[in-house]
Amino acid sequence: MATASSTTTAASAASPMQHRSQLSDKTIQRLFILPTLILLITWNVVPLFSSLFLAFTHYSHSGMAAPVWIGTQNFSTLLANDTVWHSFAVTGKYALLSVSLQAIVGFALAMILHEKFKGSGLLTTLILVPMMLSPVVVGLFWKLIYNPLYGIFGLLPRSFPVMLEKQPMWSVVITDVWMWSPFVMLLCLSGLRAIPDYLYEAAEIDRASAWQQFWKITLPSVMPLLMLAILFRTIEAIKAFDLVMGLTGGGPGNATETVSVGLFRMVFQGQPRTGLASALGYMVLIVIIGISNVYIWYLNRIKES
Amino acid sequence: MAIAPARAESFAATGPAEPVVESVRVDQIMPQAKATKKARMILAVITAIVMLIPVYWMATTAIKPRPDAVSAPPKIFFTPSLDGFIGLFFDRSQIAPGELEKYKERTDLSFVEQQALIRGMKILGPSKYVGRLVNSVIISFTSTALAVFLGLLAAYAFSRYEIPGENDWLFFILSTRMLPPVVVTIPIFLWYRALGLYDTHFGMILLYTAFNLSFAVWLLKGFIDEIPKEYEEAALVDGYSRMQAFRKIVLPQCVTGIAATAVFSLIFSWNEYAFALMLTGDKARTAPPSIPSMLGVGGIEWGSIAAGSLLFLIPVVIVTFALRNYLLRGVTFGAIRQ
Amino acid sequence: MATIELKQVAKMFGTTYAVKPMDLTIQDGEFVVLLGPSGCGKTTTLRMISGLEAVTEGNVYLDGEDVTWRPASARDVAFVFQFFALYPRMTVYQNIAFPLESTHESKEVIDRRVNEVVDMLRIRPLLKLKPGALSGGDKQRVALARSLVRRPACFLMDEPLGALDAEFREAMRAEIKRLHNEQHATTVYVTHDQIEAMAMGDRIVVMSNAVVQQIGTPAEVYYDPQNLFVANFIGSPGMQLMEGDYSAGNAHMPGGNVYKVPQAWRAALDREIGQGKVVIGFRPEAAEISADGPFTGMVFGIDLHGAYVVLHVKLVSDQIVQVRAPRDHTYGLDASACFDLNHDMVRFFNPTTQQAIFPEASA
Repeated sequence: MATASSTTTAASAASPMQHRSQLSDKTIQRLFILPTLILLITWNVVPLFSSLFLAFTHYSHSGMAAPVWIGTQNFSTLLANDTVWHSFAVTGKYALLSVSLQAIVGFALAMILHEKFKGSGLLTTLILVPMMLSPVVVGLFWKLIYNPLYGIFGLLPRSFPVMLEKQPMWSVVITDVWMWSPFVMLLCLSGLRAIPDYLYEAAEIDRASAWQQFWKITLPSVMPLLMLAILFRTIEAIKAFDLVMGLTGGGPGNATETVSVGLFRMVFQGQPRTGLASALGYMVLIVIIGISNVYIWYLNRIKES
Repeated sequence: MAIAPARAESFAATGPAEPVVESVRVDQIMPQAKATKKARMILAVITAIVMLIPVYWMATTAIKPRPDAVSAPPKIFFTPSLDGFIGLFFDRSQIAPGELEKYKERTDLSFVEQQALIRGMKILGPSKYVGRLVNSVIISFTSTALAVFLGLLAAYAFSRYEIPGENDWLFFILSTRMLPPVVVTIPIFLWYRALGLYDTHFGMILLYTAFNLSFAVWLLKGFIDEIPKEYEEAALVDGYSRMQAFRKIVLPQCVTGIAATAVFSLIFSWNEYAFALMLTGDKARTAPPSIPSMLGVGGIEWGSIAAGSLLFLIPVVIVTFALRNYLLRGVTFGAIRQ
Repeated sequence: MATIELKQVAKMFGTTYAVKPMDLTIQDGEFVVLLGPSGCGKTTTLRMISGLEAVTEGNVYLDGEDVTWRPASARDVAFVFQFFALYPRMTVYQNIAFPLESTHESKEVIDRRVNEVVDMLRIRPLLKLKPGALSGGDKQRVALARSLVRRPACFLMDEPLGALDAEFREAMRAEIKRLHNEQHATTVYVTHDQIEAMAMGDRIVVMSNAVVQQIGTPAEVYYDPQNLFVANFIGSPGMQLMEGDYSAGNAHMPGGNVYKVPQAWRAALDREIGQGKVVIGFRPEAAEISADGPFTGMVFGIDLHGAYVVLHVKLVSDQIVQVRAPRDHTYGLDASACFDLNHDMVRFFNPTTQQAIFPEASA
């Protein structure tokens, strides 16, 4: 670690007030950062390597046998397994539907709440509440809401499709959209508020129609933040676990078994197939790392501008 | 009789009825613009109501009397009762028909027992939920305190010093937050089991600290970056040590930032489900994994589940309001400011 | 024809006047400058002319038509903003073409018009760039091009040079004036820089605290300021003001100097002041160094300008005034200095009313 700041050198040379037990800058740097790094590495990096190892083994943690190296067999097993492909399909469908709807609803919400009127601040904060709640708890009480007998949906006419049993995917998607559109709204609002008024004034002088103003000024300015929101929500959708567990538990059957839920079942229900699950987890991880990279790169770009 | 001119035309001639005493463009006070604004307001209110109906529904279910909580069709009007909460905090069982009369004659019943009696039930003792709630509090608060403390130090170092490979470290720190919990949990589960950390407060606290640390570092770094370096540099030139400068100058100025970070971390720990589900059993289990599995005698106690959910959600709602100016920052890991 | 008329136009925010009722008539092709310090109401006035600000009272006329309640898009005006207001995600070409898109002209016509103004402002190399890649001066040129492309009846400019570096400002100033002359377009220009106003305006509207202080040509506001504010605000430095007691043709200054007022002023001063306080105003170049001048003091500071010297003279009244002196003499610090005031250039003000006093019109 090379650089001590020049002001400190000047200070150590010039000042008579320093105590002898002064901590040098280098020590402080190390002291401040090391505990954090140690914790993070231990709880994130080490398990990742363990997982990687286990992915190439045959292992069940409930048995007595130690892990047995089997090369890439887990991966070929997984790729040949219909249930696995099914869970990828479920996850993909869920991510696609949920994120697109969130983007549309969130953006629409931002457009509605953008111009200040009496109470707009309060309304905005109220709408932000759902995204701060515990997803499993949200899933749980939406279960009640969807209940055809007891829930609010029971108040609707009989012809309305009965959720949960008949349309489990849609019920999960709708609940997810309800919970996370506010997140998209929040980001879009900040983008909208960053647009200076004088741009719209110039557009008014230039006789631009409302549509032109939206298309040429508003939308392009909000797009970066909207993209950021979409990226982030996509990553979260692929990881989806809490909400699904609370609402359907992956069911009925495996109708809503996302990859994370499938993984959970593989490890904690029935005969644990720990090696196999690690392999599957790693496959998901690769995908997520890819998208996360894009997300973080995009985040930095926005931060800089 | 003269026909009144169309509103737009009369506006063009004489302007608005009241003189304009605010900063507004002419096109914004025309009748059409005002009508649009009003429509927008109404739409906003309707949307907010629709969005909040589920929360409202859950809240009312929590305070409905037991039979009303699950009635078909669902009841909109009811007399509030504490049944849900009682079922949440206490274990109950049906009183056998023979004993019912004896119970009704007793004069030493506590308030809670009297309430239960109305439904023909007796109190067996406190339920497991109380313990779960306590666990949630212990684990969330401790891990938050640790994460904020360590995160503050690291954030300061990253902000004020040129750390080699700084961007890579920060990238690494952020990416730990992106991992699917299940992938990381398997190995942690295995070595927690081996080390005896499975189902312990200590194990969960360490895990949550690591989990929150990445977020805390990013958020706090953002706050510290906003404090001009010049103050500390002036202090250093005046002879203060780094530590003193940190304590006396930086700390007071980022108290709000620390508070916001702490609250966000608290919420994340408080709401956390996946790790809690997989790494705890009976002793250290927090509330989120427990709420779904609350089964009553003879059916799912929706009233109690709603009560548990409500209790769990209320702190978060309060905190959302308290933190409303920092929400954007919080959800983008400090990268974007409101 | 593009005349602008404001009749008793006023703007209030809540219960405070941002612009008190004012009248202003601008002729076709005139270059009128709204000048004043921050917060005086000049920008608000400009915005009311454009329609970006709705009036509280009064009427705005463009070419004789009452446009008070017409939105900005329905008025034939172009607006140049201080911060350029270029559309960030469009190229320079698209920015300039934007005002024409609402007219549904053919692409060829639009292209031709855009190219016309692009050459006029010499920004051809910038056409494919986005505003983020431009310097301040270039951005302002693009903004000007955008305002020109529609050939509006009037140009309204809100401190367009305020965000530019000093070196650009002078060049752009000349360019704007040149464009104005070529286009013969009515222009209303807002600035707080009185040098700019003096250099560019056909007429200047001096404003302060929501009130119009004076409307006049640069020469008028410079040589015949109507009140103390204008006297002090115009010129660098502003008019030097000294207060004394007037009585029977003599102004008795604190500290002992006595100034015999020029004959032409006696009658007006006797009538307006009688016996009482008077303020004498003079520009540094109106001072004449002379050994027996009525104003005495010592040299407090010396500013060397190219062709002349400005002496900061500390009078016996302890007030420091700036006085211009020829280069050929050398002046030392703390040396004594005496000066008289040019009869034609001296001015008088009533300190109580803040207004200028005018000599009786001679036959």
